[in-house]
Amino acid sequence: MTRGIDVGLAPCESCELVVRTHHRAGLCPRCAEPVHHRKLLWRPRAWALLVAAAVLYIPANTLVMMHTEQFPQHRDDTIMSGILYLVNEDAWGLGLIVFTASIVVPLLKILALAVLLVTTSRHSRWRRRGRTTLYRVLEVVGHWSMLDVFVVALLAAVVQLGRFAAVEPGPAVLPFAGVVVLTMLASAAFDPRAIWDEEAYD
Amino acid sequence: MAELAICTYCDVIHERVDLATRKTARCVNCDRPLYHSNTDLGAMLAITITAAVAFGVANTFPLMTLATNGQQTEATLWRAITASYVQDLPAVAVALALTLIVAPVLELGLLLWVLVPLAFGTRVPGFRSSMRLMRILRPWRMVEVFLLGVAVAVVKLSGLASATPGWGLFGVAVMTLALATLASFDLGALWRRVDEIGASS
Repeated sequence: MTRGIDVGLAPCESCELVVRTHHRAGLCPRCAEPVHHRKLLWRPRAWALLVAAAVLYIPANTLVMMHTEQFPQHRDDTIMSGILYLVNEDAWGLGLIVFTASIVVPLLKILALAVLLVTTSRHSRWRRRGRTTLYRVLEVVGHWSMLDVFVVALLAAVVQLGRFAAVEPGPAVLPFAGVVVLTMLASAAFDPRAIWDEEAYD
Repeated sequence: MAELAICTYCDVIHERVDLATRKTARCVNCDRPLYHSNTDLGAMLAITITAAVAFGVANTFPLMTLATNGQQTEATLWRAITASYVQDLPAVAVALALTLIVAPVLELGLLLWVLVPLAFGTRVPGFRSSMRLMRILRPWRMVEVFLLGVAVAVVKLSGLASATPGWGLFGVAVMTLALATLASFDLGALWRRVDEIGASS
């Protein structure tokens, strides 16, 4: 199978037109965008964003996500305790959805991207097709982790019944949203074509 | 040069072939989609308008209504955004506004801007930048995630007070469906249509 990098052809990132390149650089005649064989600086950018996301993952899970006031009680929930609360209320189907979107997906994204980055830097031939599919999965599930941020914002907006009940977002909301955004940016920075490369082209 | 398509996932070169309607060409090497045959501009325009109307409904009517002891609160999209702003979380308010209002409005607006003239056979000024911006915006609209978020919020509230879904939620649902359908269309088809217009004029 012929690859674009071997014959000096690359698709324009903006309009998908196949463009001829000279010395690994080209210009799309249709939309005047610079064309590259591999995303620019993909490896350092992906690593940097990934490390930042992994660091933020800790406060996102240990700090309070939601503060609930329901006179005379009040409670502070982290993401995990919010899920356990749902399970205790017998809404365990919903708990499972939130668990998947808020805990499993972000963690899986961080681990999967780390695996992709390490295996590509070794030019590993191990399960190339499977790793390409893994990358595709990352792209598709990327934004679903934003679920809990939306839930907290909605609850805070609707539950403002004076001193009887109130919901306030906690300090974990920001690092949590940060994890979602940073992992999305990291997987966008990663170039899946590198999975199939026998040598480093960046 | 014969019309080529290069897989953006593994860099393998393919020769472009004409597909039967509603079919997707896949990479022979990694099996990822290369291009679709879903290129009916009229259908695309109709779905875009549907999404735009649904977006209007989603923003006008309450997503849900909460009732306790004779007090009623209505949750609208806008209120969810302003509430986070008021509660000292401007960054969250900005994130909500970007993913739920700015990104979808821009995307639908740009799509209408290029599609309507294209249906009549003309290319709009700024076609190139519109197409580029649309591609950049796509991952950042999260209407479908928000839809699930409203459902979770309604269930979470059921212990506290009686929460009923409103027409706004219906708007979000229709918009989610319309946007998902739009994603199955090939944006590259718009470029080829523009090329045809350029060649004939």
